[in-house]
Amino acid sequence: MLILKILSLEPAHGYGIAQRVQQVSREAVQLNQGSLYPALHRLEQKRWLKAEWRPSETGREAKFYSLTRAGERQLALEKETWDRLTTAVQLIFNEE
Amino acid sequence: MWKLLNLLPGRRRRMEKELERELRYHVDRRFDDLVRSGLSDAGARRQVALEFGGVLQVQEEVRDAWVWRWLSNGQRDLQYAGRLLRRSPVFAATALLSIALGIGASTAVFSLIDQVLLRRLPVSEPDRLVYFNWRGGTLSTGWGYDYLNSYPLCRELQEQRQVFDGVVCRHPTTVSLSIGQQPQEVRAEIVSGTYFNVLGVQPRLGRLIDPSDDVNPGGHPVVVVGENYWRNYLASDPNVIGRKVSVSGYPMTVIGVAPATFVGMDPLAAASLWMPATMAAQAGNIDAYWDQLLNRRAAWLHVFGRLKPGLTGEAAKKTLEPWFRTMLENEPSTAGFPNVSEEQRQRFFSSTFDLQAVPGGLSASRRAFQRPLWMIMAGSVILLLLASLNVAGLLLARGAARAREFTTRMAIGASRGRIAGQLLVESMLIALGGGLLGLLAAPALARVIVFFLPRDGDVALHIDGRVLAFAFLASVITAVMCGIAPALQTGRTPLVASLNDRSRVAAGGGVWLRKILVAGQLAFTLVLLIGSGLFVQTLTHLHDNLGFDSSNLVTVSVDPPANGYSEADAERVMREVLQRLQAVPVVERAAAANSGMLNGGAASTMVTIDSGRRFASDRAAARMRVGPGFFPTLGTQVIAGRDFDERDVRPPGDKPRAYRTVIVSESFVRRYFQDQNPIGARIGLGNRPDTKTTIEIIGVVKDFSRRTLRDEQVETIFLQYFDNQSGDGTFYVRIRGRAETAVSQIRSAVAQVDPELPVTLTIFDDQVERSLRTERMLASMSSAFGTLALLLAVIGLYGVMAFVVTQRTQEIALRMALGATRPAALWLIMRDAAVMIAGGTLIALPAVWALRRFVEADLFGVSSLHLPTIVVAGSVLALVGFSAALLPAWRAATVNPTDALRL
Repeated sequence: MLILKILSLEPAHGYGIAQRVQQVSREAVQLNQGSLYPALHRLEQKRWLKAEWRPSETGREAKFYSLTRAGERQLALEKETWDRLTTAVQLIFNEE
Repeated sequence: MWKLLNLLPGRRRRMEKELERELRYHVDRRFDDLVRSGLSDAGARRQVALEFGGVLQVQEEVRDAWVWRWLSNGQRDLQYAGRLLRRSPVFAATALLSIALGIGASTAVFSLIDQVLLRRLPVSEPDRLVYFNWRGGTLSTGWGYDYLNSYPLCRELQEQRQVFDGVVCRHPTTVSLSIGQQPQEVRAEIVSGTYFNVLGVQPRLGRLIDPSDDVNPGGHPVVVVGENYWRNYLASDPNVIGRKVSVSGYPMTVIGVAPATFVGMDPLAAASLWMPATMAAQAGNIDAYWDQLLNRRAAWLHVFGRLKPGLTGEAAKKTLEPWFRTMLENEPSTAGFPNVSEEQRQRFFSSTFDLQAVPGGLSASRRAFQRPLWMIMAGSVILLLLASLNVAGLLLARGAARAREFTTRMAIGASRGRIAGQLLVESMLIALGGGLLGLLAAPALARVIVFFLPRDGDVALHIDGRVLAFAFLASVITAVMCGIAPALQTGRTPLVASLNDRSRVAAGGGVWLRKILVAGQLAFTLVLLIGSGLFVQTLTHLHDNLGFDSSNLVTVSVDPPANGYSEADAERVMREVLQRLQAVPVVERAAAANSGMLNGGAASTMVTIDSGRRFASDRAAARMRVGPGFFPTLGTQVIAGRDFDERDVRPPGDKPRAYRTVIVSESFVRRYFQDQNPIGARIGLGNRPDTKTTIEIIGVVKDFSRRTLRDEQVETIFLQYFDNQSGDGTFYVRIRGRAETAVSQIRSAVAQVDPELPVTLTIFDDQVERSLRTERMLASMSSAFGTLALLLAVIGLYGVMAFVVTQRTQEIALRMALGATRPAALWLIMRDAAVMIAGGTLIALPAVWALRRFVEADLFGVSSLHLPTIVVAGSVLALVGFSAALLPAWRAATVNPTDALRL
């Protein structure tokens, strides 16, 4: 879900996504960079992501991933599930 | 599913390249960033590796995301298995060929069984078709086979609209058809006017026979021809409608062409011509001078009804019951009802009927084909099983040899399932390959099988979805059967032990499994050997059962009435043909008779015998009409009294008369005269109280086979051919020299009388062979399979023994060093072989006992548990088995202890 969320803002390449996750989560989430790629490929095989090669900010060609329609739907779905879960947890904690 | 696309090699290569580029980019960027943030080159490289992990692992995990792991494993296993098979071509060829033969044969038989027994008629809603069977004393004279009914009854049933949407009647026949060329024998159906309409068959051209053609007897000279006949013999002539044709010498007109998909109610005897029932007397060729269309006691039609939708056969029967009862009660007051005894009358009134569902139509050949086909099916399944056992044995042997490979692989982390999977992939490759080869061979095998069927039939291999599915399923089952034992066997032994112990090769468990497989093979082999022994004896017994010499004998059948001759002219033709035949130089003798022999059928009749006291026969005697010289021509002996001679022949030109003289068979005398002299006694045809006994017995003849070679010698009476109507029949001709050489001379002799007259000429030996086809097939198939099985089993046995010997060489050497004698060592090894052979026999004997019912009907003159056969087969197996075992055993016994123990 994190990957989908990050990509929903703008297309990015693998390295970029890794940096981004660390940045956004203020270093709290340490993404194992090695396990990022299998995840990306799985999402691509599920047709939630599409990929294209284009020049990156350093000028070298990089594989940029972006969200597909199906990916957007999936993100919405997962966000909803997540919201429901967190709301539920919140409710339990706020009871006292 | 589109993940499968990722297996395509081109696509796969591109994906691999992109993945590498992608990962390289990541690593390089990270490295650059780290260097920029102040790390040294070496430090940065270490940091990247720490963060990222192994590039290879990542690649591997990404690949898992591309395709399912088992699938890519399977792909690799397949490549590996292919390489292995290429490396041992002999093993691969044996395995592939035996499986191909098994699958090919069973697929071919399946296709034939599908057609003969399972396929439905290509008409609309065949499931609603029922066949009307009148059971009990119909008091009718029948023309044809199975349940026959009269034309008036057929018309009455058509009125039973509360149960039927329609009723069709048909009579299968063979007519001589000529459309402006030589007359040709074709199969035809004589049908009711409702026929095509009720079956829902649409014309290919013109119109089909309809109820308007079924009104006035003799008034509708129209025919429909089949599309195949139209294509093959009429050059697909679009103007065929309206063409004049001659059917059995009667002029008729073509009104339409039936579609190729429809070949009549008998799918195994395709009809090429249809004519309305109203023309049966004129063109039907049912019997000479047959005119029984309106006779209620003439049974010649098969009657089928199409049930109303939703109506069951049972319900329909209940609804029809009152009609049937009324019909029975009214029948005695109809014209032509015979004067019968009270008992026969009672049997008539207590007759019943039923409605039998016939979605597949009605076929005379179906029953005849059923048994042989199932026998071949059983044979090919056994062959397939044997081949599987063999392949399983070979895979096990290879498994043992590869045990080190497998244990090594397991030691570095392969799972047991992974290796078992690999073995299954190997057997799958063999089985599917074999299945594919088998499918290619199936058409040829099907032709061989069809040739062996006991009579002609329109069956051939049709490869369709069902047949393909069958072949595929058979292959997969075979693969599992071959692969399961070796697969289960892998990884049974503890890793460390097998890696350390180099002499035992970690296959101790594999050997007993292989021994069981070999015992199973030996059991199958024994069953097949016993079977082939029985079938070969059956064949010999049947040959001997003929009762006369069949070589140099030719039969010549002609049917002048079917070709437009009047009764008196036909008779003149017959006598002339006989004279011409007798005048042919190579002809030794020739005689007339009313029918051919060994074609499965025979007329029979009850008789009344008057030999001082008058009594009726307790069962029907077979009857045949033969002319003077018939018995000498056949080579059978008249053992008492005299043969027919010119005195018995009705002078030419006289009207047919009642029979005066008869010759009876030996068995007839045995049954009805015991020790009395039958010569001079009188008999009458029929068993009514008023039957006249006016026919004098003038001779007794030895028994011989007439209907089939399997005849129990039934009582037979031979009437004088020339007493009654003698306008058609069969001449028996004994040739000097080889029968084949006389064929053209015989044909020209007949042609001198009438060049237009069709002649059916049969070389009697061919006829004998033909009637023995199924038996010959069983004998040769079981012999061939038996030999093949013996070979496979011996190879298996030898393999196991050789393996055991190499395993136990050290042990034997040790024993011999400690004083064991050579015979003792030999016995040590041979004991294993003895156990396997004994085990196989122990499995086989109950199997033979269980299978005896299955083969009994196909045996003749030998019991299914014929002890000498079993003993001989067992001895052959034991002898061959021990010889195969002796070689390795001898090697073991002659081993030099010092050589073997030095290791």
